[in-house]
Amino acid sequence: MKERMIELTVNGINLNISVPVHQTLLDTLREQLGFTDTKYGCGTGECGACTVIIDGEDSLCSCMALASTLNGRSITTAAGLAEQGLNAVQQAFIDQTAVQCGYCTPGMVVKSTSLLRKNPNPTEEEIRKELEGNICRCTGYDSIVKAVQQAAQSFPEENTQWDNAVELKTGAHS
Amino acid sequence: MSQFSVIGKNVPKVDAFEKVTGQPIYAADLKMQGMLYGKIVRCMDHAHARVTRLDFSEALKIPGVIKILGPEDVTQTTYNTGACDEMVSDKVGHLLGDLKDQTIFTYHVRHQGDAICGVIATSEEIAERAAAKVIVEYEPLQVFMTPSEAEKTGTHQLHPDKPNNMAFQLPDAMFPGNSYGWGDAEEAMKEADLIVEDNFYVNKQKQCQMEPHAYIAQVDGRGRLHCWSSGQMPKITHQKIARLFDMPMSMVKIHSTTIGGGFGARLGIISEPETCAMALAVPGRPVKVQTLREEDWIISESRHAGDYWMKLGFKKDGTPVACQARFKANTGAYFTHASGVPFTTGAWLSGMYKFGALGYQGESYFSNQAPAGAYRGYGNPQTNFVLEQLIDRALTQLDIDPVQWRLDWHKGVGDDGWCFGVKYPSCQLSECLRQGAEAIEWDKKVAANKQQSGVKRRGVGVSVMNHTSGAMPMLLEHTVTTIMMNEDGSAVVSTACSDLGQGSHTVLHQIAAEALGLEMHEVTLKTGDSDANGFDIGSHASRTTYVGGNSILEASDDVKKQLLDRASRHLDTSVENLEFGGKTIFAKNNPENSITTAEICRLGVYNYMDPETGEPEGAPGQIFGFSSHFAKHNSPPFGACFVEVEIDTETGEIELLELVHTHDIGRTLHPAMAEGQMVGGAQQGIGMALTEEIYYDDQGLALNSSFTDYKMYGSSDMPKMKVILVEDPDPHGPYGAKSVGEAGLTSPVGAIANAVYNALGIQFKEAPITPEKVLKAIKENGLNFA
Repeated sequence: MKERMIELTVNGINLNISVPVHQTLLDTLREQLGFTDTKYGCGTGECGACTVIIDGEDSLCSCMALASTLNGRSITTAAGLAEQGLNAVQQAFIDQTAVQCGYCTPGMVVKSTSLLRKNPNPTEEEIRKELEGNICRCTGYDSIVKAVQQAAQSFPEENTQWDNAVELKTGAHS
Repeated sequence: MSQFSVIGKNVPKVDAFEKVTGQPIYAADLKMQGMLYGKIVRCMDHAHARVTRLDFSEALKIPGVIKILGPEDVTQTTYNTGACDEMVSDKVGHLLGDLKDQTIFTYHVRHQGDAICGVIATSEEIAERAAAKVIVEYEPLQVFMTPSEAEKTGTHQLHPDKPNNMAFQLPDAMFPGNSYGWGDAEEAMKEADLIVEDNFYVNKQKQCQMEPHAYIAQVDGRGRLHCWSSGQMPKITHQKIARLFDMPMSMVKIHSTTIGGGFGARLGIISEPETCAMALAVPGRPVKVQTLREEDWIISESRHAGDYWMKLGFKKDGTPVACQARFKANTGAYFTHASGVPFTTGAWLSGMYKFGALGYQGESYFSNQAPAGAYRGYGNPQTNFVLEQLIDRALTQLDIDPVQWRLDWHKGVGDDGWCFGVKYPSCQLSECLRQGAEAIEWDKKVAANKQQSGVKRRGVGVSVMNHTSGAMPMLLEHTVTTIMMNEDGSAVVSTACSDLGQGSHTVLHQIAAEALGLEMHEVTLKTGDSDANGFDIGSHASRTTYVGGNSILEASDDVKKQLLDRASRHLDTSVENLEFGGKTIFAKNNPENSITTAEICRLGVYNYMDPETGEPEGAPGQIFGFSSHFAKHNSPPFGACFVEVEIDTETGEIELLELVHTHDIGRTLHPAMAEGQMVGGAQQGIGMALTEEIYYDDQGLALNSSFTDYKMYGSSDMPKMKVILVEDPDPHGPYGAKSVGEAGLTSPVGAIANAVYNALGIQFKEAPITPEKVLKAIKENGLNFA
């Protein structure tokens, strides 16, 4: 099996590793390096569960990239975003109850962070457009969109209270 | 101010912090010392075939291949991957004709993806390469994919005990005339002034939980079989695996991993048998099986597709005199839920409206489709698509408003619920209808739609549903809880209730904290360990908050009773004179005479002898609360969904403009999570109505086993949503709560179909309603919307 030495920075840690030339970045992260916060959902770039940030801003599906082609690049996973405490997006996902099963969550958090780093003031439409490649089967997306909106409002440090849109009404008999 | 301290509050989900950083351990994330990898060889090229040659010789030559197991190398005991067989008595199971018809590996391929053999190797890659080198030759057999093909004379019979491939029909012994309902529907139908009748097709929808199934199994030094599984019913998995491998349950341990969504897909078991069989062949070594997405798609159970006939009779004034229906469900290659779903499909039908008489026939047929099973709603969305459309068809002819008719004729408090004899204890459906209609501006939009012109047409639709909170009395409803009071007065609640992501563990924490007067962080839930947790039937039937919650309340009462008994001794007064005030118990006649619950708990554990008196310092013994709770009711929730659509009559595209989702919730324990269930459920209901179906080619091979080809609503596709939770505490639910899990999916299905009907005047008898079908129908009906 042909291998190649690469230099890869993962969550700020500089690594010199040998990777099989046909190994996806997803497998390198999960199987070789133990960053299991990056998830396998489809292996074909359709679901976004494996999304990582590359070189600080852009995102990519790590199942669609070969690690051997990423020599010298820097990768950030969901765990890497929380090294100085939760980032604004992660906190907003908690505040907005935008987390259900949690399997799409790391990819969603990473993708949303990538969006806000490039566009700190997105419209709802822009948020929804950006998240099209990330599938969530639990939430119906509304809480996730609200979380990104909250994060955008408090970016980078403000901590805004968010008014939840659910309505409680009293029934006729109570 | 709320009477509660944590109930009804949007407390952070207990698992949220870990999940936003990606730290929870799903089965696929586990790695163990000495771990081997299993790869299941599946038949991907045939939907029905016999294996004529199975040759491992080439595969075994690959370095790193440890063993390959064929159909004869594993237990020949058969099983059922569903769970219904564990939830009814043997007697009922016999009457229903339930089958255990699955084997670990097979020479008889009954559907694409059936398992032939299992390769065990030192790496996943080697296992995959070796699997490709296993030589399997097949003799193709006749393929049949639908109930009508299945029952045809001369069609291959999939199971010897089931003539005409009819896996199930409502048994005469339990349902006279093989029919569920009341009165004589055929006779009653003769009194009708208007009859509407049609044949519908409901689609095979996939759960598409984001985590593909993965497992690890290992036999330890003592011979105990361990299985790491993401099943939503860990205790049923425990029982099924022990029985399959003929081991006492004490020699099997199920470790529940974090569950990456389920929606029914993880109800019962999936590939635990194959994984455990491989582990048993290599004692000591853990074996991991990672299912690929496309594999997951065809091996795990889907929603039941089927043919649904219905006939409704009305008086001129709208009085519903009779309902007759017959659902022929497609159970696919194995029995699985062949008895459960065709029953509940009719049960939901029976629970909805005050028909003068109702007769429902439910059946299941084998086919060479991938097995059908449990999917959120469990027969309810199928009924919703058919019933709600036919109602609206009749109402158009009777010129009666759909909202008003539903207000007039829905069942409510005191009426029989989905299971006769179990009467509705609470119902706010009328309020749901009123508030939903107001929110979507029903009257205004209905009037406007009558005047519209142009190629884009708008429509509004309404649909109602009833569901359940747990499956009693049809199925066993039992949850065991123990509460261990730590010596500082904090609590460890042990229960096997699983959390698929919906938030049940958070709600169970809330219930325990509220009941025990503790803060959220003073309660810990111990779950996912079959050695430690008592019985729980599993997360299904929207039961966990309702049944699990009531079990926790019962165990909390046990704790509180013990605390009061001890406080009575400490404070030297009667129990009747004592009262809880948060974490303190005090005497009513002298509030200064008090003791904290923490002190009682501490003295019970550190029960020293007083050297002066020679007496113990307090009442001895650590406090444990216990409950073995059998649900007393099923408190069905109701709901009404309102949808507005805009249809481009030139492209057939249906755009959802707005969806108003109302729910009769009893009491909301966590508003944001309840809303999440409604919105998330709607995403799946929308899919069933408009885009989602597994398609097969004429040889029975799936055509769209990927997220690219199987179309789900994404972040940009979702309509504007509004959730209205109508509260009226239920007399049986924990703190008055009823279920919310499955309900969110159901009513959007009929509401969307009815909105399309309102826009075009056309009803669609086959779900999903795709643009192709819309265009075809416009053309066939000779309509011109220019």
